This record gives sequence, structure tokens and C-alpha cells, in this order.
Amino acid sequence: MRISQTSGIPIYQQIADSFRQDILTGKFQEGEYLPSIRGLAKELKISVITTMKAYEQLQAEGLVTAVQGKGFYVNEQNREMLKEQHLRKVEESLLEAIRSGRLAGISDEELKNMLSELLLL
Amino acid sequence: MNYTDAITGKNIVKKYKNFTLNQPQLHIPKGFTTALVGENGAGKSTLLNILSGVRLDYEGDITYFEGSESMKTEQVKERIGFTAPNDYFFSNWTIEQICQMYDVLYDNFHVQRFKDLIRELEIPVAFGREKTKRRGLFDRRKGSKQVNQLSDGNRIKLQLAGVLARDTDLLIMDEPASPLDPLMRDVLCDKIRSYMEEGDGERSVLLSTHNITDMENVTDYVCIMEQGSIIEQGFVPDLKEKYILVKGDAEQIPAVSGRLFDMTKNSYGFEGILLADHSEEVAGLGLSMETPSLSQICVAVMRNYRKSR
Repeated sequence: MRISQTSGIPIYQQIADSFRQDILTGKFQEGEYLPSIRGLAKELKISVITTMKAYEQLQAEGLVTAVQGKGFYVNEQNREMLKEQHLRKVEESLLEAIRSGRLAGISDEELKNMLSELLLL
Repeated sequence: MNYTDAITGKNIVKKYKNFTLNQPQLHIPKGFTTALVGENGAGKSTLLNILSGVRLDYEGDITYFEGSESMKTEQVKERIGFTAPNDYFFSNWTIEQICQMYDVLYDNFHVQRFKDLIRELEIPVAFGREKTKRRGLFDRRKGSKQVNQLSDGNRIKLQLAGVLARDTDLLIMDEPASPLDPLMRDVLCDKIRSYMEEGDGERSVLLSTHNITDMENVTDYVCIMEQGSIIEQGFVPDLKEKYILVKGDAEQIPAVSGRLFDMTKNSYGFEGILLADHSEEVAGLGLSMETPSLSQICVAVMRNYRKSR
């Protein structure tokens, strides 16, 4: 996990994003516990409250469950549904890009080229 | 945020000739690191001395560990570690004597851990070899240094080694970072995080600091003190939502004047702190908005307090 202090994205958000990805890609298995809040804070050299906030966000998203005195474990994920949700998000973002492109008079061909080039990044 | 109290205080009052500490309510959260911030003479040391049991001449009630203990109970001092910015060892004592003193004073002091910490914190002292027990813990031929031969930084480190070599549930530290170099401040922060991890939510730290920037990555909860009372407090993420850092150009100054919580102008524009509750008042002015650092929040709160006083 790479934490940037200067990216403008809050650190708790960066941690939540990283774990979310690990959970959705199956790096964390169902029922597996995330690192302890204070253990992770120590590893990443950040405050306890920051990791706590990251875990609370994952809990609010339904990805993990808190157990008193034991920590946070990964919930059973409905992967198909989650994938569907993410696909919809991607579709929306692409549509927005297309709309912006049309407004600026960029041709479909140019847009496709742009996408292919960006995919190489 | 749900939490219980490591320290609960009620109506804490300590009167001096020209200064009064007055804290009607005090809640230091358990399982977190709390930073006490404030200008010189705000009463931070007085408060920490009272909370650590060094000062007993005050009015009010203080309980520890969710109200389960007070300074009157026997075992409470075993559970609290305290470091002070001034010397609290006799200056002609050697490090070895200090080690022995701790061993006598506290049931939960670990000699080996103390020695490891002395090494880790790079306090200049020569140890005797383990096998030659008759020479004791420290090698007298190389000389066990006396406290007055140590620098300010090393004296603080000696105190840190002393409290960390004990099994405690609460550390109270008055300006632990000030005399330390940047490398050792980093070590201090690591030590605090390890302490918290080993406690798994049962341990708490309360420290005062002038250098909140250095301690931001270890601070969970902040209390800002002015003139003997805490004037603002909260968990860091909550404060960072409450206060917004705004910047703008010189032309925008008249429009925002009086609407910001704190503002500093320069020839080219201004920078200030806006209360999130008031953000709609400046909407549409095209100000740039950012999350402030903990230091920026503290400065704004202290300046605003002085202005309104």
C-alpha cells in the first residue's frame, strides 16, 4: 500500500480504497480479518484515528463487519452484484467523457484513439 | 465516535496569583493519543502535573480508566507513566542508580527492557557484559554516566526509557518531543504507536506539544488550551471537517471580511480558516478550499480566541 501525504486525497480514503480493491479482487478472503487498527497505524506510521476512519468507511459500505474486541472481518461479497455496480460506474464516467468530447467537437474516431492511448498508461 | 474515558475530570481548579486553571469538564479518550496544544503559560504543564498525580493541591475530581480508579487507589500509579520537561532525577545519580530506583519503586518495571531501550534510544552509556554480573548492569570501568553529564535530549530519552520499561495503561508526557532531534522524534512517534498497538485499545497517551506538525501522524484527539481552559477539542478528522482552509486574491478580501473564522492578509491575497457551518456565506466567491493541517487549525483557533478576548 502506498500512502501519499501530499496527494490531496485524505489518507483514510487512500487506505479504504486500497483495502476495497484487495477485498473485491479476492486478495482478502471472506471471513479473513483485516490487520488490527493499531497494528496498521504502526506499520504505516499514521494515527490510530486515521486507520479507524478507513475501516469505518469500509464497514459503512458493507464490505467488512466489526467484532467487538476482535477487529474487522471481510464480509461475504456478492461479487456479481459488486462487479455490476462497478461496471455501471465505469459506464457513467465514459458517458461523461463522451459528452464533454462532443461539446468540444471531438470526433468519435479521435475519442477512440484517445481511449486506446490512455489505456496504454 | 464512541469512546470511553481514560481520564475523566470534573471542575478542576488550581489558582495561582496571576493565573487560574479552570476545567469544568475533561474527557481524555481511551485507546487514543491525545495532544494538548497551547501557547506558553496556557496551563498545559499545570494540568498534566495534576493529572499525573505530581500536583495534589487542586480542587475537583479526577478518575482514571473509565472511572474505575482515582489517585487514592493504590495501584493507579503503577498504571500511569509520566515524563516531565524538567529534570526529575537527582543530577548526580548515575543511569545505573536510576535503573535500580525504578526497579524498587515499581512492581511492573523490567530491567532488561530498560537496558534495551537505553540502547535503542542511543543514550550514551556503557553496559557491562552479561556474564560478568559482579560488575552489575553497567560497566563501571567505562563509567555509567551521571544525569548531569547528559544533554537535554538524552535526559528526556532516559525518562522515556523509564516509563516504557514499565507495563502501564496511560502515558502522560509533558513536551516529550521538544528537546529531541528529528530522527529521535520519529523514534518517539514509533514508540507511541507500538505502545498503542500492544495495548490493543486499552492503552492511552496524553502528551503536550508545541510542535504539532511533528506529532500530527500520531495524534488522534486534540485539546487546545488557552488561559487555563481547553477552548477547542475533538478527533482530528472531525476538526478537519469543521474547519476549512480558504485562499483568495486581494480583490476578494472585502467580500469575505468578517465571514472567516481567521484570516491573514498579504500584498497578493489572503489565507484563512472558514467554519464549515458558514461555508454557504462565501459560496460563489470562487475561493479555493483545502483541508487544513492540524497546525493551521490550532493557530487559527488560538488567534481567534485572542482576538475575541
